[in-house]
Amino acid sequence: MGVSSILALGELKDHKRIYTIIVLVIALTMTSFMLENAYLNYMMQVVDDTTKLVTSDAAIVDKNSNIRDLYGTELELKNAGEIVRRIEKNLPNYKATIRVTAQGTYGLGTVGEVVDGCTIQGIDPKKDNSISGIANKIVKGRFFEDDDPILRGHTPLYIEIKGPGNLPDFTYGTGEKLLGDEKPYPIIVGASAAKIHPSVDIGKTFSITLSVSSRETSYASIMVKVIGLYESGTPTLDALIWFMHADSLREIKRYGEVTGKDWYIPGIGTFRGYNPIVIDRNRGDVVIVNAPEPIHSLNPLGYADYVKEEVKNVVPFLKIYSWHDFLIYIAGSMQDVITIMLWGSIIVTLFLCGAAIKYVMDSIIMRKTREIGSLKAFGARDRIVFRIFLYQGLIIGFIAGLLGILFSLIVMYLVNWYGLSVEFISGTQLKVGFIINWLSILIALVLPVSLSVLAAALPAKKASRLSPVEALRKGELSL
Amino acid sequence: MNKNVPIIELKELSKKYNEYGLLVNALDGVSLKIFPGEFVSIVGPSGSGKSTLLHCMGLLDRPSSGILYIDGKDTTKISGKEIALFRGEKLGFVFQSYNLIPRLTVLENVILPGLIMRKEQKILEKKAKILLKEVGIIHRINHKGIHLSGGEQQKVAIARALINDPVVILADEPTGALDSESSREIMGLLVKMNDKKNVTSVFVSHDMNIARYGKRTVALKDGKIVGDTKGDLKNLNKVLKNLVKSKR
Repeated sequence: MGVSSILALGELKDHKRIYTIIVLVIALTMTSFMLENAYLNYMMQVVDDTTKLVTSDAAIVDKNSNIRDLYGTELELKNAGEIVRRIEKNLPNYKATIRVTAQGTYGLGTVGEVVDGCTIQGIDPKKDNSISGIANKIVKGRFFEDDDPILRGHTPLYIEIKGPGNLPDFTYGTGEKLLGDEKPYPIIVGASAAKIHPSVDIGKTFSITLSVSSRETSYASIMVKVIGLYESGTPTLDALIWFMHADSLREIKRYGEVTGKDWYIPGIGTFRGYNPIVIDRNRGDVVIVNAPEPIHSLNPLGYADYVKEEVKNVVPFLKIYSWHDFLIYIAGSMQDVITIMLWGSIIVTLFLCGAAIKYVMDSIIMRKTREIGSLKAFGARDRIVFRIFLYQGLIIGFIAGLLGILFSLIVMYLVNWYGLSVEFISGTQLKVGFIINWLSILIALVLPVSLSVLAAALPAKKASRLSPVEALRKGELSL
Repeated sequence: MNKNVPIIELKELSKKYNEYGLLVNALDGVSLKIFPGEFVSIVGPSGSGKSTLLHCMGLLDRPSSGILYIDGKDTTKISGKEIALFRGEKLGFVFQSYNLIPRLTVLENVILPGLIMRKEQKILEKKAKILLKEVGIIHRINHKGIHLSGGEQQKVAIARALINDPVVILADEPTGALDSESSREIMGLLVKMNDKKNVTSVFVSHDMNIARYGKRTVALKDGKIVGDTKGDLKNLNKVLKNLVKSKR
């Protein structure tokens, strides 16, 4: 061990009381940082998992659609297949898939049950980017299988009624109960919806009225059968977002070549019933894009903006929403505000700790001037004296960082062991969890070390620059 | 080492301070030769410049003008970094208030200058034990500096000054903080070390009785040398008389 480190350790030992307080304050700040960061990470993960079920990293919609439409009222993208190909060609490692969406209402006419709404996301079980996200979150039942009755081969029975006066035309279609042997469309619903709706459970069949055209009064009532319940961690969104096969929705929404005869009944409207349809897989409502994982996740929001910009460059004529846009839409900018406040409070606390370290060292140097003078008389160069104080800062910061990490790990372990959870919407419990990433551990270690080294560097420089005779003389005066 | 070649040589050495806008000549053209093995006391009244002279000789302070040779090297021409190294290798210091590091043990205090010079700790410890035996404080080797009496601390300081085998030991009022009995003991020890190790020693004192321990006494007044026994003790009374006279 060098003479600087021996003396630095001695100094720390001499002033252990004040340094312990500083170390504890920094350590607790770092604990709070680690815990808040890990909890935010966990919450981000929870919200992220669900949010990305709808938007993935980015969602491409028609230029006249808005963010609210991502819940199932997007305007149709007739060239969705072309957009997918263009994205995958121009952005290597990006994956794009088509979604067909609709808004649904269920519980209508059911005794003892409230009417509720949901957004149906029509996914391609083989290609959809979020597929593993959904499939892995099934808590009861199963995911889509190849022999599921996805298609009927015909559209629902539609009737188009000309709107009288200023009222819009009204289209209503039904696929239920008119043909006895019709199999219901398979559907995966949120577990939280099943908790509050008795008719929504595995194996149960019920009808949903879908809004099949976002800007028109056009509905279709169809039969669905629940094949799976999923839980993403955010019950509110689970209750809202349900999944059907994209082709089922294409058939219901008539995205394909519809053949067959129409009947016009004067004074009533046009019947377009059970028209045979060859669905067109190039048609959809939204193209969702999955970007490659960023190298680091220091600024996921910045990365979301970057992905959005990249996609925008490929399809400038369409509207792009990033995952972050959607996150802000559903959670407001609360997450961002919390993050900013967290960093703000940490910076203020650390600044105060830094000031305390500098103050303590300044006062030590003032009292130890004679010692510094003696060391110089014994041949100590400026850098030896500088290191004595710098090492103290280094050790304080390092111990504080380590303790901070340790404390936070203990708290996380205890919370996990106790199984703390909070009341959430729809009578569900949201588990309090933590996700630690290496970056936050690194920050919790590097931040206090840099801070205390920086705070120690100023007095250390001052001490090292003292001339030996001046230091010895000042020391005599302070006796 | 050639006894006729000075180990320290000062040529027209001056040191000026600017104190509250007033220029003070702490040393005014001092020329002095100190030869190997000499035991020199520097006496003078307060403010005579004796401490400044010692600080300049110890390379703790830079002279304003003049030349200072130590062990044949013109120290006024060496850089700040080299000065620190030179000081550590060639000079040993004994301070009035001992300047032991209170939290370190006696042994650790003694080896400290050696550690600064990056010498091996084990060798230093071995040597320190011999020195502590010589100064008669070996029984307190593991005690903290803070727990020793003034006289004991100064003994440790003498051992510490010798750890790097300096060519010169410089002592600034080594008995200034001690009672008369401890003072006698410390001065006796310094004389003994000078005799035994033949290490050149220069000490500063304002006390004429302590100054008498020097085998050569240099008297300083207003930054100028006003007397030098030049190794002949018969001259001492004359030098001291001169000093007293000039005081008036």
